[in-house]
Amino acid sequence: MKKRPGIGGRIGIGIAFLFLYMPIFLLIIFSFNQGESSAVWQGFSFHWYAELFHNRLVIESVATTLLVSLVATAISTVVGTFASVGLYSMGRRWREGLMTVNNIPMMNADIVTGVSMCLFFVAFFSGWGSFAGWVNSVQHVIVLPDRLKLGMATLLIAHIAFDIPYVILNVSPRLRQMDKNLVDAAQDLGCTWMQAFFKVILPEIMPGIVSGALIAFTMSIDDFVISYFTAGSSTQTLSMTIYGMTKKRVTPVVNAVSTIIFVVVLVVLIVNNVREARLEARGERQHRDHPKLDAIREYLGSPKSRWMKRGVALVCVVAFVTVVSMLTAFTNSQPVVNVCSWGEYIDEDLITEFEEATGIRVNYQTAESNETLYSLLKSGGADYDVVVPSDYMISQLIEEDMLAEIDYNAIPNFSLIDDRFKNLPYDPENKYTVPYTWGTVGIIYNTTMVDEEITSWSSLYDPKYAGQVLLIGNSRDAFGIALNYLGYSMNTTNEDEIREAYNLVKEAYDRGQFQGKVMDEVFQAMEGGNAAIATYYAGDFLSMQENNEDLAFVIPEEGSNWFVDAMCVLKDAPHKENAWKWIDFIASTDSNLRNMDYIWYASPNTEALEKYPEWYEEQYEEPLDEETYNIIAAPPETLERCEMYVVLPKHIRELYNELWIDLGI
Amino acid sequence: MKNKRALFAVPYVVWMAIIVVIPILIMAVYSITTEEGQLTTENFTGMGLYLSVFTRSFWLAIIATVISLLIGYPVAYWMSKEGPGFQRVAMALIMLPMWINFLLRTYAWMSILENNGLLNQLFQVLGIIKLYNAVTGQNIEYFQMIRTPGAVVLGMVYNYISFMILPIYSVLSKLDHSLVEAAQDLGADSFEVFRRVILPLSLPGVLSGVTMVFVPAVSTFAISRLLGGGTEMMLGDLIENQFLGGAYNPHLGAAISMVMMVIVLVCMVVMNHFGEGEEQAVML
Repeated sequence: MKKRPGIGGRIGIGIAFLFLYMPIFLLIIFSFNQGESSAVWQGFSFHWYAELFHNRLVIESVATTLLVSLVATAISTVVGTFASVGLYSMGRRWREGLMTVNNIPMMNADIVTGVSMCLFFVAFFSGWGSFAGWVNSVQHVIVLPDRLKLGMATLLIAHIAFDIPYVILNVSPRLRQMDKNLVDAAQDLGCTWMQAFFKVILPEIMPGIVSGALIAFTMSIDDFVISYFTAGSSTQTLSMTIYGMTKKRVTPVVNAVSTIIFVVVLVVLIVNNVREARLEARGERQHRDHPKLDAIREYLGSPKSRWMKRGVALVCVVAFVTVVSMLTAFTNSQPVVNVCSWGEYIDEDLITEFEEATGIRVNYQTAESNETLYSLLKSGGADYDVVVPSDYMISQLIEEDMLAEIDYNAIPNFSLIDDRFKNLPYDPENKYTVPYTWGTVGIIYNTTMVDEEITSWSSLYDPKYAGQVLLIGNSRDAFGIALNYLGYSMNTTNEDEIREAYNLVKEAYDRGQFQGKVMDEVFQAMEGGNAAIATYYAGDFLSMQENNEDLAFVIPEEGSNWFVDAMCVLKDAPHKENAWKWIDFIASTDSNLRNMDYIWYASPNTEALEKYPEWYEEQYEEPLDEETYNIIAAPPETLERCEMYVVLPKHIRELYNELWIDLGI
Repeated sequence: MKNKRALFAVPYVVWMAIIVVIPILIMAVYSITTEEGQLTTENFTGMGLYLSVFTRSFWLAIIATVISLLIGYPVAYWMSKEGPGFQRVAMALIMLPMWINFLLRTYAWMSILENNGLLNQLFQVLGIIKLYNAVTGQNIEYFQMIRTPGAVVLGMVYNYISFMILPIYSVLSKLDHSLVEAAQDLGADSFEVFRRVILPLSLPGVLSGVTMVFVPAVSTFAISRLLGGGTEMMLGDLIENQFLGGAYNPHLGAAISMVMMVIVLVCMVVMNHFGEGEEQAVML
């Protein structure tokens, strides 16, 4: 007999499970938290569960995830099962070669699979584009769509591709364990080779199919990296939504979703376990192979079985049709506009309002920085209509002929934009842009963690604050600030000056001055009091201050950067008309007021900017702090100290890139 | 082809050719061309710049793999000695966390490890920080855990340890017990039995566990970002950065991906040499 492990083994297993489940328990506990924090308990409440049903982004991404995983699992289980039988029936040499290829997507790092598929789809789409263009030009009977984009279909293909190997690897060993004589015997008894498959092989390998399907489904649900590279801009799985959130703040709504999923799966597992335990106790799992040949003999002669078979087939067909129709209903039908903006950069009620007013569905996505947005556009995976880049990136996009000229006749609200924000250097004739917000960059610091009033960039590099400073996570701002501190122009093209700025940052970096390199992660770090000093945007400071009153903001005496983010429409935008409507809606005074109130970035709309303090008083029945207003909309004397970025020449951009990467490694 | 049923595999073989093989070929083409479409080896030769990213990724992934093995092996071993009911429940419990998104689980670790996080609060309450200050003469308010390489390793171990436990457990639970008894009868003590019977027999499971932890660990990008605070750049981050990040250069990204793929292929060859470990890893 086996020796049972002692108490030590059980304790070991217990500790391992504690390690595995500690974060999960935490996550579940905080889904019942009153407040938004994931570290401070503020009282019990169900309100995140209630909110879940109003959070469209989360609900839709859960639906997408489930749909993609279910369809991918169904297809890959069928294909994988047939493939395993096929491979099993092949000669050894063929089988081994094909099995190696089969293992590739499973063994390859996810990121390699994701990247290779992304490149493949993009290459295929451009090939298809020319093919469809040619077909459409020679005949007019069928019009082929000439612009394909990453989306639900590519996501599904990718998921099927990495699911199938799991099915095959679970089914193949069952086939090898199977008694080969069973198949021969069945055929001797009059089965066709097809019948032999359905009556003998299939039941025999069923446990393998089930566990393969289960693993494939789990992998699909859990996948993030491959989806991230193949889903494009208008489809989002839950993982991708969460990834977008982890940069800023994860709303406990996703904790609530996960808790629900967790509980459902737990219940299923418990039920399954109890059932299996019962079967085992009754001994029903043993010896069920022997009566098989009798059963076949009986089956071949019974008319009932035909009906059974047809019934099962009918159910399968109905299920398949439902899923496919759901899929198509889900993916198109409504007019849409695809918007890409920054994280927490809009009052989300505006989206709903626009949708209700116009019937146009808004696919609202976020990018992390101007550089990321640029990559997204260049890689060809995204099909955005409206983007909201900053000044210097706009010039670059114009330079590379990626933006469409805006039809200002369709945007009457453009006239409300203050003249200060028109015809700026990035778009001198104002043909491509409608300003969205403007603001400044400054130092955010925690007054309880520093013992002086901070007035200069020098504190970022001051050894006194070693390990307490967060470096801003993009090259333009990080080096721009250093240049400004050194007294150079933020737009300098003098390589020596840039290198000097780099050395300043590098030297501080190497001695551990910086706790991290962050973009939107700054929210969590500063709000939680985990770092003393950071550089970020004025509007975001005010959002942080709402959650941590000890924070203060200053535009350093050396000066800083001021920026305009403007809405632009991409040259190849598929929904231009809808894009004009969206831009017009956002440029209205009401939208500007509400956005300003929500995100604390200054509005370029004259009326909104002037009326905001009044509006604020009406809304909240208390006057707006003048200091706050000056942080949102820096007064002219402050702006005078600030410099706007202009686009840098290509070789300087490359230098920035090179130095930036050099810093990180 | 032995019989007609071999035809069942035809759709899948076609599928593999299109969806698995061609993308890799395209990636290979990208890795040896420039933006203008000319042939170049620059993408590979220029990779020397990122040597430290390579060494860091490998180093952290190796540490994470070793730790996973050191924890995972005993757990799998103890599990395999339990009764069938216990084993079934334990297996389910190992699979269950995968149903909670790994980003969320990792994010939960963030709130545990933060400077003001739960663990530091706990240390504060228990007086461990005071004790540390008294012993070392330093004056710290918290232990810096997040945004360190250690946190990244922890994240890897946490996320991938199941892939270590499952294959080892799967091999151990199928172990022919009479071999152990035979060894005992021949006078081996329990350490000898483990070293000369159990360990060698479980090697295929160990090998597949090692690959299944090492490969995702060396290529991760979200974990290093969340727990490493963006300062611990890893290969995954580097690749992502070339495609969807700040430094847009898919040709370089493809070249780095090719290098990673070669590494994986080497792992696979080594593993195949030792037997059919991989297959056991993903079987329930």
